[in-house]
Amino acid sequence: MATKQGFFTRLLDGKHAVIGIPYLWFILLAAVPILIILKISLSEMQGTSVSNMIDWSNGWPKLTLNFSSYQFIFSDSLYLKTYLSSIKYALLTTLICLVIGYPFAYFMARSPKHMQPTLLMLIMLPFWTSFLLRIYAWKTLLENNGIINNVLMSLGVIDAPLQMMNTPFSLMIGMVYSYLPFMILPLYANLSKLDMRYLEAAADLGTSPFKAFWLITVPLSKAGIIAGSMLVFIPTIGEYVIPELLGGSSTLMIGRVLWNEFFSNNDWPMASAVAVVMILLILVPMAIYNKSQAEAEMK
Amino acid sequence: MATAPKEINQPAPEVLLRVENVTKIYDGTVKAVDDVSLTVNKGEIFALLGGSGCGKSTLLRMMAGFEMPTKGKIFLAGQDITNLPPYQRPINMMFQSYALFPHLSVWENIAFGLKRDGMPKDQIAERVEKMLNLAQLGKFAQRKPHQLSGGQQQRVALVRSLAKRPQLLLLDEPLGALDKKLRETTQLELVNIIEEVGVTCVLVTHDQEEAMTMASRIAVMSEGYFLQVGAPDAVYEMPNSRKVADFIGNVNLFDGVIEEDEADHVTVRCPECVHYVGHGVSGHTGMAVGVALRPEKIMLSDKKPKGEYNWCEGEVIEIVYFGAHTTYHLKLDSGKVIKAQELNNTRDLSCGLTWGDRAYAHWNDLAMVVLAQ
Repeated sequence: MATKQGFFTRLLDGKHAVIGIPYLWFILLAAVPILIILKISLSEMQGTSVSNMIDWSNGWPKLTLNFSSYQFIFSDSLYLKTYLSSIKYALLTTLICLVIGYPFAYFMARSPKHMQPTLLMLIMLPFWTSFLLRIYAWKTLLENNGIINNVLMSLGVIDAPLQMMNTPFSLMIGMVYSYLPFMILPLYANLSKLDMRYLEAAADLGTSPFKAFWLITVPLSKAGIIAGSMLVFIPTIGEYVIPELLGGSSTLMIGRVLWNEFFSNNDWPMASAVAVVMILLILVPMAIYNKSQAEAEMK
Repeated sequence: MATAPKEINQPAPEVLLRVENVTKIYDGTVKAVDDVSLTVNKGEIFALLGGSGCGKSTLLRMMAGFEMPTKGKIFLAGQDITNLPPYQRPINMMFQSYALFPHLSVWENIAFGLKRDGMPKDQIAERVEKMLNLAQLGKFAQRKPHQLSGGQQQRVALVRSLAKRPQLLLLDEPLGALDKKLRETTQLELVNIIEEVGVTCVLVTHDQEEAMTMASRIAVMSEGYFLQVGAPDAVYEMPNSRKVADFIGNVNLFDGVIEEDEADHVTVRCPECVHYVGHGVSGHTGMAVGVALRPEKIMLSDKKPKGEYNWCEGEVIEIVYFGAHTTYHLKLDSGKVIKAQELNNTRDLSCGLTWGDRAYAHWNDLAMVVLAQ
C-alpha cells in the first residue's frame, strides 16, 4: 500500500509534473504524429482513403503491413536522386551559413557590451516580416527583369539579363538568407561566453592571435558550431517553400516530392513513406553522433 | 621562510627586470598604476602585495604584455620589451584560477607552448615528462583539467608556465583558489618547484602571509604606487608609514608628540601612555608622530608594571581564541581599544584574564616603530 501511495504522490508532486509536461508535449506532438505517419506509410490507398492496417472482419485482428511504398522508393532512382540532392543542398547551406555566420557571431560577441543588444535585434529583425514575403522579395530581386538585372543592365555591366531565378544559385541565396540567423544565434551565445583568459594564456605561451583562434576559440565553440549546424541542416533538408518559390523545376528537393505525393497524386502511403525515410536520414546520423559524443565524454 | 639576502657585503645582483616610471591610465582618467619603478634581480621571488584595486594586477599584466603602459618602459635583461606582444616575450604567467585549456589533456596543456615554438616532437615529450614529474602528476597526463582537484590543477598551471623555461615567471594570486589547509602545503611545494628550476618570479597577491612566506622582497602597493619595498621582515618590523603598518598584519597605532629627542632614545607622549623608544629617530622635539605597536609584542598582566613608560591600563572587552594564541581587546580609559596577542604556551589560558577584568598592557622599549605623520 505504501508503494502505491508513493507512486501516486510521486506522480503528482511538483518535480515529476514539471518533467512530465515536456514529455507529454513530446509524446502528443512528436511521437504520436510520427507513429501515425509510420502507420499510413505501411498501408495502401483504397479509392480516396487509406486501407486499415488491422482488419477485424473475421472476428480476430488481422495485421496487414504493406511495404509497396518503400519498395517503390528504393526501386525508382528519382527518389534516391532527390534525397541525395536534398542532402547536398542542406549541407551546402549549412556550410555557407557557418562560413558567413561564424565571423558574424564572433565580431558580435567581441563588440562593446552596450552594442550587443542592438546587433542581436538586427539579427532578429527579419523575423518581424512574414517568411513568405521575404522569399517573394528575393524573387523580385533575382528575376530576369528584376531589380538586380535592371540595375546591372542600366549600368552597362551586362547586355542580357542573367538567369538567376530558378537555379541552384537562387535556391542557395534563399536558403542561406533564411537560415543564417539560426546559425548565428547559437554561435553568438557560445562565443560570448568564451573566457578571454584562455586566449591570454595561449598568447602568453607564444601563440599569435590568428593561431589562437584556430587552436582555442574554434575548438571551444564546438558545441555552438554543432548546435547551429543542426538548426540549419535539419529544417533545410525538408525545406519546401524556398525550393518551390526560388528553386524552380531544375532543383530537386524532397520537400517538393512530398508535397506532390500528398496533394497532386493524393498518395498518402507513398508521401508518408517518403517522410519516414527523410526522418531516418536525419535521425540515424544524429544518433550515431550523439553516441560517439557520449562515449568520448566517458573516457 | 624565505629571507632576504643582506644587501651589504654582496656582489651587485644581476638585474633581470626593470620597470621605469610606468603609468597606466584607463579611459583617460582612471590611474591604475602611477609612476612605478622597480627592479627585480635574477633568481629573486618578488611579491606585489596590496588590496583589490591597488594596481598590482595591472602592473603584472603590463609585464606579461596584456596591457600597454600609458607612460614608461619595461626592460627584460636589458632589452626594451614595452611594445612587444605577449606571445613574443620570454615571460610566462600562471593565471589566477589557472586558465587551463579545458579541451586539452594535462599533457597537451603542458606541451602547448612548446609546440608553438616548433620544438621537435621527442624533445617536447621529454620536457613534458620532466614537468609532469616535477609536479608529481605523471599518472594524470591524459586527464582533462576538470578531472583534477584544485591542487592538481594548480600544479599543472605552474608547470605549464615553466615548461618553456621562461626568463621571468609571473604568478597571479597563485593560491587564491585553494582552501586554507591546502594553501599551506601548496605554498611550500610551489616555492620548492620554483627554486628547483631557479626561475625569477614576480607574484601578485592580496594575502600578506602568502607574500611573506614565498617572496624574498615585497612591494606594498596602494592606489597605484609603492608604499614600501623591502624584505618581508623589514616591511613587517619596520613599516615606513601608517598605511603599511596597518596593511601588513595587525597593529595598534598611537598618536603622540615627541617629548624627549636624544641620540639613544626618544619618548613620545600619547594621551594613553608615554612611549620610551630605545633608539634615536629622525625627528625633533614637539613633532607629532604615530607609534605603531604589534599586538604580539604586548604583554598583559593583572599587576601594575614598574616605571612610568611603556604601559597602559584598561578593561578586557573581548577575548578571541585562535588556538595557538589568544587576542585580547583592551579598552583604555581614553576609549581607545588596543589588541594584545598572548601565546597559549601552556594548556591553561596563560594570564587568567576574563571579560570585564582590569588589566595592564606593557611592552619593551624596542617593540614599537615611530612613524612620521
